[in-house]
Amino acid sequence: MIELRDITYVRLGTRDLDGATRYATEILGLEIAERSGNSVYFRSDAREHTLCYFEGDPDDHVAAFEVGSRTELDAAAAELERLGHPVHVGTCAERDQRKVHDFIAFDDPTGNRIELVWRPQMSGRCFRGSRDTGITGFSHIGLCTTDAARDELFWTRVTNARASDHIGDAPLLRIGKIHHTLALFPTDCKGIQHVNHQMQSTDDIQRAYNFIRERKVRVVFGPGKHPTSSARFLYFEGPDGMVYEYSSGVCEIDDEAAWRSRQFEAAPRGFCKWGAKPDIKEFRS
Amino acid sequence: MTNATDCSLIEQLRYVHLGSRHPEAAARFAEERLGMRIVGSEGGEWLLRSDHRAFTLSFSNARAQAVGLQVRDIDALDLAAERLAVHGVTARRDDSLAARRLAKALLAFTLPGGVNIELVVRPLDKGWRFFPSREIGLSGLADVALRSTRVMEDEAVLVEALGLRVTDWVGDAAYLGFDDAHHRLSLHPSSATGVLAVEFALDDLDELMQAWYRLLDANEQPVHGPGRRPASEQAFLTFDGPDDVYFGFVTEGRTPAANERPRQFAAEAGSHCAWGSDCRIAEYGAQTLLRGRPQLRGVKP
Repeated sequence: MIELRDITYVRLGTRDLDGATRYATEILGLEIAERSGNSVYFRSDAREHTLCYFEGDPDDHVAAFEVGSRTELDAAAAELERLGHPVHVGTCAERDQRKVHDFIAFDDPTGNRIELVWRPQMSGRCFRGSRDTGITGFSHIGLCTTDAARDELFWTRVTNARASDHIGDAPLLRIGKIHHTLALFPTDCKGIQHVNHQMQSTDDIQRAYNFIRERKVRVVFGPGKHPTSSARFLYFEGPDGMVYEYSSGVCEIDDEAAWRSRQFEAAPRGFCKWGAKPDIKEFRS
Repeated sequence: MTNATDCSLIEQLRYVHLGSRHPEAAARFAEERLGMRIVGSEGGEWLLRSDHRAFTLSFSNARAQAVGLQVRDIDALDLAAERLAVHGVTARRDDSLAARRLAKALLAFTLPGGVNIELVVRPLDKGWRFFPSREIGLSGLADVALRSTRVMEDEAVLVEALGLRVTDWVGDAAYLGFDDAHHRLSLHPSSATGVLAVEFALDDLDELMQAWYRLLDANEQPVHGPGRRPASEQAFLTFDGPDDVYFGFVTEGRTPAANERPRQFAAEAGSHCAWGSDCRIAEYGAQTLLRGRPQLRGVKP
């Protein structure tokens, strides 16, 4: 069992690094941590970086999770190899790029590139966004799956992920107390389906709705409230078709033994209890 | 015996009466859109209930509007009449109007700007709980926004004669309170006089946002909101109602501390909404430019 401690960062390829950088700072409200070579690193919380845009294929997505020790990292590599997932051990240059002590990379059954990292770097400085967004940090991702049942088995048997709830066939998976850190959405391709940042309050979500709309960025879902996690949310379009989410008020599951995962419908009401209808391919029934 | 000079004579916001070109249609609007219940229509007077009060909204074809405020007893009515006279405002007792408003006694007067106020004693309450016509989370009449051509004089009468307190100002607009709520009345400078908006409380923000999506599903746009008022911290949603009166829902909101100093906010849209919502109400700093294609003078869109 691979014990995932936290989600650490996402890496996204883009053909327009300047455009993606402008979006990440001016619209999303992140802070540039570093520009190096063909990559720009962004901060959203106390970590040195939680998002990286690099010049490359826009379909090239990587999601990273933290493990607790080198022993666990080595054991994870052996276990993944044994299960038929070829493991790439990070080179010195790759480790430096990612600001981690060590990492391995593999593909999940759908083909999503996943990295397991050990000792990702924290920053000594406070996060300060380019505007007053109320962002408190990078929190979860939606991941594409071409077979939700198969991939749910992979994540829940090979790692410590547990299903908190399902919307249709899509499992919302937790690795700690937070309702979900990873969600798998059935579709016909691989890749990261959405990237979530948490906000301080519902007010921040509502302000963001008007801010984003005024800048002619397409809001694809919300503002709304998830009946699953109770989070107030807003989804909007990012560069290269990526969907970004702001949310606030995600519930925590304190009593592991008592929690029973619930089934919600793969319809607007399964995704929103306020009445918003998603304009997101993977959220439509 | 009511003898206090500092404390408010007013104990409750009771009702709003609106003259309507079509009282029945207006009452149906209140039932369908606000979840209220029609509880009477005798003599062309359509009464609607929203909470423990026998009615909080009424429509008739009289060309008049009035806001009903409750005082404790007849002594308070007499005291109010005396204090109003000091401000040059004549008040009259009206027993037949009291009966129509389901109250024991009634004192009617007009504010300098022209808004009619009715002070009532022992207005009727109901012992059986309110059962809404729609499950929208309605919890009752919350506040009334008034527009006036003479806000400062109106404010002086309401504060000095009736003991309401100003909780905050936005430009020359004043929020006025007399109980736990930040405000029950607000006065907004305008070129016209009358009821600007009648606002009802909802149980929580979920219901306010659900009301917004119901409005959008009906292909209507709110006139203001959803948003949050910086002064009262109420979340609000305001929409068109019959006879050019706006109706709205509010939820949350803060209770000012005792002896809190009223604050002055700028007369601008941002002082009426901290979320940056679209606003089509001139008194709340309506955006002159609509979103989308800019209108250019002399260029047909």
